[in-house]
Amino acid sequence: MEQHFDVVVVGAGCAGMRAAIEAHDNGARVAVISKLHPTRSHSGAAEGGINAALGNTAEDSPETHAFDTVKGSDYLGDQDAIEIFTREAPGDIYQLEHWGCVFSRNDEGKLAQRPFGAAGSPRTVYAADITGHVLIQVLYEQLQKRMAEGLVVFEEYFAFRLVEEDGRCRGVVSWDLMNGGVKLVEGSAVILATGGAGRLFRATTNAYACTGDGMAMALRLGLPLKDMEFMQFHPTTMFPSGILITEGCRGEGGYLINKDGERFMKRYAPNALELASRDVVSRSEQTEIDAGRGVNGSVYLDLRHLGAEKILNRLPGSRELAMTYAAVDPIYEPIPVRPGAHYHMGGVECDNWGLTELEGLYAAGEVACVSVHGANRLGGNSLMETITFGRRAGQAAAEYARSSSATGGNGDAARADAETWIKGLLGVEHGERPWQIRDELGISMLENFGVFRHADKMDKQVEVIAGLRGRYERGVVIEDKGDIFNSDLTQAIELGYLLDLASCMLQAGVARKESRGAHSRPHDFPTRDDENFMKHSISRWQGTGPELSYREVRMTQWEPMERKY
Amino acid sequence: MKVELKIWRYDGATGQKALRPYEVDVSAEATLLDTLDAVKDKVDGSLAYRKSCRMMICGSCGMRVNGGAVLACKTRIADLVADGSVPVISAMGNLPVVKDLVVDMAPFWDKMRSVEPWLQPGYDQATEIENIVEQKRMDVIHKESLCINCGCCVSECNSMESDPDFLGPAALAKGMRFVGDPRDGRTIERLEAYSEPHGIWDCTRCYFCNERCPKGVDPRDAIAKLGAEAMNKGIDRDMGARHAKWFVTSAKTTGWLRETELVPKTQGVVKAIKEIKFAMSLVPKGKVPPPFPPHVAEDVHEARGLYDLVKQQGVEGALGIVQGEKALMHLEHTSGDSDRHPYDEPGSFVRPFLPEDVQE
Repeated sequence: MEQHFDVVVVGAGCAGMRAAIEAHDNGARVAVISKLHPTRSHSGAAEGGINAALGNTAEDSPETHAFDTVKGSDYLGDQDAIEIFTREAPGDIYQLEHWGCVFSRNDEGKLAQRPFGAAGSPRTVYAADITGHVLIQVLYEQLQKRMAEGLVVFEEYFAFRLVEEDGRCRGVVSWDLMNGGVKLVEGSAVILATGGAGRLFRATTNAYACTGDGMAMALRLGLPLKDMEFMQFHPTTMFPSGILITEGCRGEGGYLINKDGERFMKRYAPNALELASRDVVSRSEQTEIDAGRGVNGSVYLDLRHLGAEKILNRLPGSRELAMTYAAVDPIYEPIPVRPGAHYHMGGVECDNWGLTELEGLYAAGEVACVSVHGANRLGGNSLMETITFGRRAGQAAAEYARSSSATGGNGDAARADAETWIKGLLGVEHGERPWQIRDELGISMLENFGVFRHADKMDKQVEVIAGLRGRYERGVVIEDKGDIFNSDLTQAIELGYLLDLASCMLQAGVARKESRGAHSRPHDFPTRDDENFMKHSISRWQGTGPELSYREVRMTQWEPMERKY
Repeated sequence: MKVELKIWRYDGATGQKALRPYEVDVSAEATLLDTLDAVKDKVDGSLAYRKSCRMMICGSCGMRVNGGAVLACKTRIADLVADGSVPVISAMGNLPVVKDLVVDMAPFWDKMRSVEPWLQPGYDQATEIENIVEQKRMDVIHKESLCINCGCCVSECNSMESDPDFLGPAALAKGMRFVGDPRDGRTIERLEAYSEPHGIWDCTRCYFCNERCPKGVDPRDAIAKLGAEAMNKGIDRDMGARHAKWFVTSAKTTGWLRETELVPKTQGVVKAIKEIKFAMSLVPKGKVPPPFPPHVAEDVHEARGLYDLVKQQGVEGALGIVQGEKALMHLEHTSGDSDRHPYDEPGSFVRPFLPEDVQE
């Protein structure tokens, strides 16, 4: 089934589904392509909540939300985008509620809001600690309603190439997982909503699917990626799996303690304590661990004082995760936690409507870099970004598609080319299996490009990546040669994406000679350098590797200040 | 840790099926999913299974271990091999196998879609503010909202095994998610639709879905809630509904189950007459007590008292079932760990303190 659509959305997490719904409601014929069934998307693993200044619990305003976000971004966020974001967020939340989202309620029956890190007011709307799950469910419910009206979903289609024609994006080439074969889906506009690339790191909260596919596809088309060095490390992930324990645990009053039981955050963020910004908390934890005040490379998240009732009602999912993956019941014992790769602030550069440098190509959600999050994202802002900017991208793409002419046939050439390429990949009979390269990449990225960044370790990592790339390019063996559900093939392609993105990250990281947000260089450049580096890094693929340039940050009303919590 | 396991391999292209043994080295805390990853990486890259989040929220990795459905990411391999046995891994049941551990989920999603799983509030345009809804009202669908669509319940569903058209536990639980939502405007229409053949009343109540659900959705309870709500709304023409209703009437009036009246009340008088021959054969076994005069239980006032209490509290239908669930959750928690204390026990972690407390 190969067809032409007005709008093709790649990825079916929160951003992708929200975009598809909006494009459909704006009259576009929409197809959604996803390598997973939509409800399997990793947005569903988000736990703590979604930020909007509703003011249901305490006084709040979009301006306060915007300021917190700007400050949290360490002044690298684009302020015009942030103002749009915080202004439109409340309306988007009400829309979700009217679609049936099962949010938690306060005593008045309004949407409940909980405190979150670095937020001036309790602004995080939530559904216990499964907020991402209920969002994914309500969006898929709405998607299904529109499927009855003609919206098409190609699920378990692994998108791996964008089709370009006359300076415009005209479609997507995919591998059909269930049946095998290269499939072309053409569109007058394409929206990338493929999520992040947390799988670059061994300790990550991210799903196996988070391999930066959209970023890598855009990069290979010559499009700019922005702020690639900024990977957020979440302060509370479990050892060794990296599975996430929500910030909501601290929002509900949880403590972080070292092996002596000391609430060490008092020494790093005397006012906000455990609810300081994520980059601050992760660095504090890592400092404690490096100073020998941790246990097995972890500190502890202590919920015991919250009591069984609160834990069972507000944080049941976290308790289940701790019991299953750390064999710890948080009602009685603290949970060992450490910083783990969680969210990529960087992504495909786009404007406030999600439009990338290539006409007809849009991006929304974690794959995109608008930038709302700058150098450090606030907890609860990513789910909101998927919804608000997903909606905006859907609307813009539908409008663009209306005025766009029919395609000229480059799609068939792209498909034929892709078929040859896949045949080549499957044809490799001798050599290395991909998993060793994958594991070495994840371990070395964590070691050399983690919470703290040292010049010599980054230099070393550049070499490691070059070595791994060499091995990958010599050809890796895909043992499954069949057509049906060949995940061996798609996983090998994903590894190639990760290697491309790692190169961009390291190049941008080495060049950023300052400490800002999630990029911290305590040994050589311990402070922020607004004069030289209050600018976005731009990575473009040129021949065999990325090339770096910079772009100004868009400012409106907030001058950079020192960041204290 | 060396682990042995057997996997039912299936090649969709050739139709070949084989139970193959594997041995891999995994860490002590490895899950079944980690173990399959080790097999795929190091032994046979052609092994097919779905995976993504590895934290029991995406619902990808439903499969069977020794004939029962589990999420591979929630299952520790050490627990499976602790007794020295070799676990047998196979694809989920009640769905067509495509390759190895991958099933075709299309029939699952189709049934899901057939319950019209989206809120139908009766208006199109959202207002500028949220609906005001008490948390208590939303609690009615708390468990149903936890469903991750993994298919473990469907895999084990006995009704679906004999009637492939049975809507099944996942779709019906999804239906309850809307029937129980005070914001939905089509409760009656939904209950009518779900009460059709292959719906609510075709569940055999084997409780396998409750037992195998990895998320505590308890789909059978959701089906019970649908039944209760349907009867509350007077949608009780299905034999299953009439059967259940007669149980209540019977218990309330005489404190006994009056079997003799059960058949005509459930099947209707005409149909019951056709069963007379069968009924007569039951008489010698004492299964057909004479209906007159009705035998009234000694403590029938207790049964009536319970009935009145439920009426008084106004927690009929789904709300009543939810109330029971909450009480059970509390019981389960307090009874299991009642002698544990988070502090002041040998081995318990120290009490947290702020740095400045030390200086004082």
